[in-house]
Amino acid sequence: MNKNVNENVNENVNKNVNKNMNVKMDVEMDVSAPSVPGVWTLAWRVAQHRRGSFWLGWFLFLLFFCFPVLNGWLLGRGFRALQLGHTTQVYWYAGAAFATDMLRMTCIHWGALVWTQVWVHMQSFLRANLLAAQMASGGAEAGRPVSSAGEAITHFRDDVEDVTMFVDGLVDVSAGTVFTLLAAFVLGSIDSGAAAILLLPLAGVAVATRALDRRIKRYRSADRAAAGAVSGFVGDLMAAATTVKVNDATEPTLAHLRRLVDARRHTAVRDRVLDDGVQAFAQGAADVGLGLVLLTTAGALATGAFDVGKLAVFTAYLGWLSFLPRMVGRVLARRKQAGVAFERMRGLVANTDVRNTVQARHLPIARGETNHRPDPARPSRVALKELEVEGLTVCYPGGAGVHDVSFRLRRGSFTVITGPIGSGKTTLLRAILGLSTADEQAGVVRWNGRPLTDRAAFLVPPNASFLPQVPQLISDSVADNISLGDAPIQSLELALQLAAVREDIDAMPEGHATLIGPRGLRLSGGQRQRVATARALVHSPELVVLDDLSSALDVETELQLWTNLAAAGMTVLAVSHRAVAFDRADQVLALDAGHLTPFAG
Amino acid sequence: MSQGTSRWRALAALLRPDTRRWVGLGALVGASSALSLTGPLVVRRIVDVATAGVGKHGTAGRITALAILFLVIAVAAQLITVVVAWFATVTAWRTTNQIRIDMSRHVLGLDHEFHRTHTPGELIQRVDGDVTSVSDFLGRVVPKLAGAASLVVGMILVLAVVDWRLAVGALVYVGAAGSLIARGRHRAVGEASDEMGAYARLYGGIEERLTASEDLRANGAGRHAMWRFIDESAGALRSSVRRESAFLRLWWAVQGSVAAGAVVALVAGTALVTSGAITIGTAFLLFQYTLLLERPLEDVIHQLETIQKANGAMVRVIDLLAVRPTIIGDGVTEPSTGALRLDLHHVGFDYGDGEAVLTDLDLTIAAGRSVGVVGRTGSGKTTLSRVLLRLVDTTSGELLVNGVPVREIPLASLRRRIAMIPQEVELFSGSIRDNVTLFDPVPSDAAVAEALSKAGLDALVDGGLHRELGAGGAGLSAGEAQLLALARVWLRDPDLVVLDEATARVDPLTESMLDDALLALMRGRTTVVIAHRLSTLRHVDDILVLDHGRVREYGERTVLALDPTSRFHHLLQIALEPGADSADELELLS
Repeated sequence: MNKNVNENVNENVNKNVNKNMNVKMDVEMDVSAPSVPGVWTLAWRVAQHRRGSFWLGWFLFLLFFCFPVLNGWLLGRGFRALQLGHTTQVYWYAGAAFATDMLRMTCIHWGALVWTQVWVHMQSFLRANLLAAQMASGGAEAGRPVSSAGEAITHFRDDVEDVTMFVDGLVDVSAGTVFTLLAAFVLGSIDSGAAAILLLPLAGVAVATRALDRRIKRYRSADRAAAGAVSGFVGDLMAAATTVKVNDATEPTLAHLRRLVDARRHTAVRDRVLDDGVQAFAQGAADVGLGLVLLTTAGALATGAFDVGKLAVFTAYLGWLSFLPRMVGRVLARRKQAGVAFERMRGLVANTDVRNTVQARHLPIARGETNHRPDPARPSRVALKELEVEGLTVCYPGGAGVHDVSFRLRRGSFTVITGPIGSGKTTLLRAILGLSTADEQAGVVRWNGRPLTDRAAFLVPPNASFLPQVPQLISDSVADNISLGDAPIQSLELALQLAAVREDIDAMPEGHATLIGPRGLRLSGGQRQRVATARALVHSPELVVLDDLSSALDVETELQLWTNLAAAGMTVLAVSHRAVAFDRADQVLALDAGHLTPFAG
Repeated sequence: MSQGTSRWRALAALLRPDTRRWVGLGALVGASSALSLTGPLVVRRIVDVATAGVGKHGTAGRITALAILFLVIAVAAQLITVVVAWFATVTAWRTTNQIRIDMSRHVLGLDHEFHRTHTPGELIQRVDGDVTSVSDFLGRVVPKLAGAASLVVGMILVLAVVDWRLAVGALVYVGAAGSLIARGRHRAVGEASDEMGAYARLYGGIEERLTASEDLRANGAGRHAMWRFIDESAGALRSSVRRESAFLRLWWAVQGSVAAGAVVALVAGTALVTSGAITIGTAFLLFQYTLLLERPLEDVIHQLETIQKANGAMVRVIDLLAVRPTIIGDGVTEPSTGALRLDLHHVGFDYGDGEAVLTDLDLTIAAGRSVGVVGRTGSGKTTLSRVLLRLVDTTSGELLVNGVPVREIPLASLRRRIAMIPQEVELFSGSIRDNVTLFDPVPSDAAVAEALSKAGLDALVDGGLHRELGAGGAGLSAGEAQLLALARVWLRDPDLVVLDEATARVDPLTESMLDDALLALMRGRTTVVIAHRLSTLRHVDDILVLDHGRVREYGERTVLALDPTSRFHHLLQIALEPGADSADELELLS
């Protein structure tokens, strides 16, 4: 009984009655050790994200599972009446059975509608926590940036789904338990011996499930890895479509794709066969159960003590009875998957602390709720007098990085960093801004003489802004890409002016309301660079940090930009290779292999 | 309806290469259904034996024997289920892997304009996500649908043998239930497709923001990004609820049929038993069969989401496959070998918005010449390179390659002879070798190493060609990536090379070290060099100055550099103006 229709991707597994007890023990253990929350605790927090809807949905499913008990009993009475020749009674029982079925369906109708919302809420909640950690500029919420967006998207999609599937399964199990208890009572009162024998095949499944648990997990993660490799490569391939085309590389790259998809086929088949095998075992157990009931009651059937009515009740319940063991098995597999999922999602949130994936937060996504444009939430402006970098060191494995870099820059000055490829220019800028992900870091950055403890949080507009070497834009309007939410129109136009892109934007039919397409691809390379430059200037930051601009700008534009920035009195720290920059600079810092060297001019 | 028909036809076409496997799967499913139908027949016999033989000697023994038979059938039925699952999964993945490859090939063949308007994230969803939905459909739903269908057919056959009236009744019942389901299904397809669209937007947005994560973090845009995300999540929620409502109608149809069926079986059975037409065992068989139908039907409705998803996915797969490239390489004329001569006759271009990017370009680039293209950003330089590579077709005018109109040259042979080093180099997660050869196994390691070292990347060779780069080329700087793209070209030895800001992210020191390599690259080929940094152009023969998509100047570099009235001369002056400390750019004047 699947109230949640989204459940189709991971059709898994088996069942096991005894495991249900372990489930309860696990919960207790996890609660007693709050320092390392287990999957159960985490899932509980996910479930409680929208408490009211969750319990309403749960209650409707519980109710839904009560009706089949009544229905089967009525049908059994009907057959009994048929055997005894009470025709009118049969019709009454049949009508009553139909009515209970309709009631059951009404329950599931409302239950499914409520549950769909709970499901999307739970998923959005997890995604929001992951995304917020990835978007935060420093502070307690910020997580370590992911290295590949294409790969990270699987956390937002598959891992989030795995967790919600687990919660979903728990609801199924609790509803299935109610049915099983009621059915056990009815069957036990009909023939306790026959009812007891039903436990036998289910216990067999328990043993098999336990034996296969670890293998299920291993197959699953191998399949995930293979799937990630395929979608990662497809992403690379689509991003590089033009490169592939002009290099006539379509066939070789597709041959590589074929190797990846073939590998994935093997993992998928293995995963699925094990899943279905365990599931078939569970379903078969119901039929085997009926066979055993027939065997044990053969004598009673022969004497007429066990009549057709009783057999009908057993038959009617058997299909439903296999639900609980099947769901328990599934939930056990899903618990493992959810554990893997939390383990993977942990990497995206602050301090890789798994608790941060289930941090309570309000998401106004339900009908009737409005999503207000947020406050800027920027740090308060601290006028820059002097920035001092002292002994800044960042080491990447393999020796790359910057070593013991120290310099100062004054308000209103223009500092240029230059140096050959791989000399650590970008690394230095990112280290200053607190964006470096290297494990080994040392040194101090002082703002007006005061050391900055959380540079990533402080060095954002209006204190500092950053233009990366390859700036990324998002599919939104020009204005939104520049202001990122909160800039008055005058500042916007000034920034466009300063970045020497106003003319281009004004020439567009919709001006700065123009949508720039995915990743800003509707703009030319130079326009993208200059729009991103405007983004770095729009909040009149105290310090503007620009990574290599020259690569995307012609010399005239670059000259114009330096002139504009000087005229606006901006404090600039920039990477450049051009004489036009060196000549305007108050100081030039030359980097070589991560060390500052005297600038040769 | 016609769309539905064409969808199934398209699906059938996709399955055709594996026809034999699918037929084999059908046979297995049939066997499985036959076993499922046999079980209740045994129970019917038990009921009849029990009813007829109450108190008789030997009845219990016969029932025991029948119960054992029932057990054997139950076990066999489940074993065959596992075999069906295995075989279905293998076959589904075989078929859909081929679809993945075919779609990737198709999408890679689409126009530059297509890729400009679709994010890689969205295309992952199309090529991988949607095809996985189809794969789930083929591997899970199709066997179950086939199982349900063969079960129904088998059931009617069995009933026909027992009593023809039962068969007719069952036929009417199944027909009514089937039409109810079929009607609801069509209504739900649209909603499922909408939902997939909403999720594609949601994931596309997340992917884009993660790609831009450094930009957003460093500029304090976290809250803004979250605000957009919440909007997209709200859209996903709305579409999910709408899809669920549509789905529930379907669910009522399926469940209502089963519920009504069970009651009708009991009522009809009662009437027939009372009139003496059938035994109580047969009435019980009817009851069992309706219950037997419930399981596969429930399975099917569990999978309806997959059906809907797959249906929506099929629509998008077919839509995507229906997108035709406008750049078609059906020409048959091969231009003569050797360096390429390019003639542009009044070439104009716009991106379909009526805004001319290139206007009336009329010029010739002689074979083996190297041309530097300069102009402000937005002057049409990159678009010109796209025209030359036939990534876009001219809107007006004509481009001739060695005298042959470019549209008459087979696209494959054109692409073999040209190469581009783009401004933003795209790298793959794979080894360094794979990134240079673009997964071509043919070039030897030695050739790859030589190409890398010619591009100034000896350091990478030393690190080992088979070292893996992370996703998106993690581990290389932007400058190194550009040099790697240079190595790609060395390996391919083309006749026309377009360098679009190819060394922009390389510092001047490294660039000067590359001078010899670039000079060697230009030898014997036609070369078009687009550069902001004028020092990059010190070796080219000619200079083309573009201004708002028009030719402002075109002539020999040395002549233009010395002509004080030329635009190029003016640009050089600005580059040098503050203090002539750049010997590189001075050289241009010599």
